[in-house]
Amino acid sequence: MSQGSSNVSSETGAAVRRSILDGVVFAYLAFTLLAILGLEESELVNRVPQFAMMFLGLSIVGGVVSLALNAKGIKTLGWQIYAPPHLRMKSAEELATPIYKSFWGVQTIVLVAVTTAVGIKTTEIDIFKLLEVDRFNHAMRLFAQLFAPDWSILPKAIVKVVETIYIAFIATVIAVPIAFVLSFLMARNIMGGSKIGFAVYAILRTVFNISRSIEPVLWAIIFSIWASFGPFAGMLALLVHSVASLAKQYSEIVEGIEDGPVEGIESTGASRLQVVWFAVVPQVVLPYISYTVYRWDTNVRMATILGLVGGGGIGAMLMEYFGQAMWPQVGCIIFVIASVVWLMDAFSSHIRAAIK
Amino acid sequence: MSEPILSIRNLVKTYPNGTQALKDVSFDVKRGEFLVIIGLSGSGKSTLLRCVNRLHHPTSGQIIYRPKEGSESDIAQAEGAEILKIRRKMGMIFQHFNLIPRHSVMDNVLYGALGSTPTVKSVMGLFSDEDEKRALDYLRLVGIEDKAYFRAAQLSGGQQQRVAIARALTQAPDVLLADEPVASLDPATCHVVMDYLRKVNQELGLTIVCNLHFLSLVRQYATRVVALKGGKLVYEGSPSEINDSWFAQIYGEGAKEVHIN
Ligand SMILES: Nc1ncnc2c1ncn2[C@@H]1O[C@H](COP(=O)(O)OP(=O)(O)OP(=O)(O)O)[C@@H](O)[C@H]1O
Ligand SMILES: [Mg+2]
Repeated sequence: MSQGSSNVSSETGAAVRRSILDGVVFAYLAFTLLAILGLEESELVNRVPQFAMMFLGLSIVGGVVSLALNAKGIKTLGWQIYAPPHLRMKSAEELATPIYKSFWGVQTIVLVAVTTAVGIKTTEIDIFKLLEVDRFNHAMRLFAQLFAPDWSILPKAIVKVVETIYIAFIATVIAVPIAFVLSFLMARNIMGGSKIGFAVYAILRTVFNISRSIEPVLWAIIFSIWASFGPFAGMLALLVHSVASLAKQYSEIVEGIEDGPVEGIESTGASRLQVVWFAVVPQVVLPYISYTVYRWDTNVRMATILGLVGGGGIGAMLMEYFGQAMWPQVGCIIFVIASVVWLMDAFSSHIRAAIK
Repeated sequence: MSEPILSIRNLVKTYPNGTQALKDVSFDVKRGEFLVIIGLSGSGKSTLLRCVNRLHHPTSGQIIYRPKEGSESDIAQAEGAEILKIRRKMGMIFQHFNLIPRHSVMDNVLYGALGSTPTVKSVMGLFSDEDEKRALDYLRLVGIEDKAYFRAAQLSGGQQQRVAIARALTQAPDVLLADEPVASLDPATCHVVMDYLRKVNQELGLTIVCNLHFLSLVRQYATRVVALKGGKLVYEGSPSEINDSWFAQIYGEGAKEVHIN
């Protein structure tokens, strides 16, 4: 009984989803066709509401067409993606038809082909530009200078790269305890028990999902204004990003722990905090260390990039010489960065392998 | 005749997904007995034990607990910190031992004292000298004091279950709940562990409630037996009275008894 009614509702849901998908695909293809037929960008920008209405209209048309096609047994892309499992069984005839002859196969091929064509146009791909004599020679001169690094700035570059490593290290070290505490508050199996717990879990998840989706480069720009240019701004940017990433990774580890030890400690009458400390923490320590080392390694690479936008360290130095087109010096700095990144990478994978 | 230590009355447990694991179960646990619960997989044995120490919460009914003659409380009604107190009094061991594998045997046994140690102290590893002494005593009782500073994971299954018994004893419980304590052990080791449980029952006078699968073990160790079927109590009596017709009733027609020795 209840099985039957849930089947019906899942079928309705699937039908709605697939018509939306097919509808949007149809509207997208129709629209692109329009653009190819010579629609100026300015026209598009000036008449957004009209085009939006048109897109919506085309989507509805496409959705209705999709419903009609599927009702007649012609399976669309939406059907392939959203059909409930109990309708997935394929007939022998369907299995015998090659994909490119089926309706959804053609639909997919057209979709990919059109997107590729528009993509090539938008990216302004132009191989011949790379082969123009002037441009080509200019680039070759630049390479020649980069590959003849000016080693006289090596000491300064090393000092600066060490600064970057420290920036990354401090950001990681401050992020770890914060993320450690947060990870338990962001784990469903720890917080799911009560209403308040679940609310804390949901709020933290949302806040950190948002802050993680803001690129560290943006944080660096914000902090370089707030805390003025320099290593401190870079560190703050990394810190925010590290806390968000680590808390997420840590909490996923917490969600994957085994229940047995938790039940064992609970059965002794231990308090909630004792259960976390004695049954959960021992299970997560090693993976935490592994992720933390990897985070430091990532932070060193990121700190370099952040330097370019005002975060101090080797990145700032690179920016300085780059701005003056001093290529031999830039070559030296790139060499130092590449060496350090390679070393950090080797070091961190070594440690992670050792604690497995 | 003294009063029973536990009186379970009309106990019902319905899980949030609608499964009725216990349907109106009533029986007594007598002070100092070795009570064994039998029944098919899914009959509600684990659920019953977990209601008694409140790892799960009963839907309705009573679990009257009499720590001493004349004093009684209803475990089913306990809330908050009272639940933690009840768990301390109901030691539990599990099929898969549920130790902390990376920690030492000694630490695992000490964790039995968590309920009586303030959280901050315990997190800093500060257990009282008395707890440490008791932990060692119980390790000796189950015969693995020489493994005290091994990691729990380095021990065999039978040894780990003995550590789990020592941990439960360190709680200073009134009742020891055992959920299929030998189901993941080989037949020989299985008797070693059951013998330790009997020793604890006889020498320390601890009341034991134990879920078991094998009737041969039941006959050998139980002083009394209750049987569950589909969440209902279908038998209560002495192990020697379980004859073929009772067996068929508990396990279903056509079931055959297997022996391990
Ligand atoms: N956490 C839970 N949520 C929902 N249903 C559960 C849960 N735990 C157990 N059940 C269900 O309750 C019923 C009784 O399960 P229980 O584990 O108590 O049986 P059991 O007698 O211990 O079986 P076994 O011998 O397999 O351990 C089963 O139908 C089971 O599927
Ligand atoms: Mg069970």
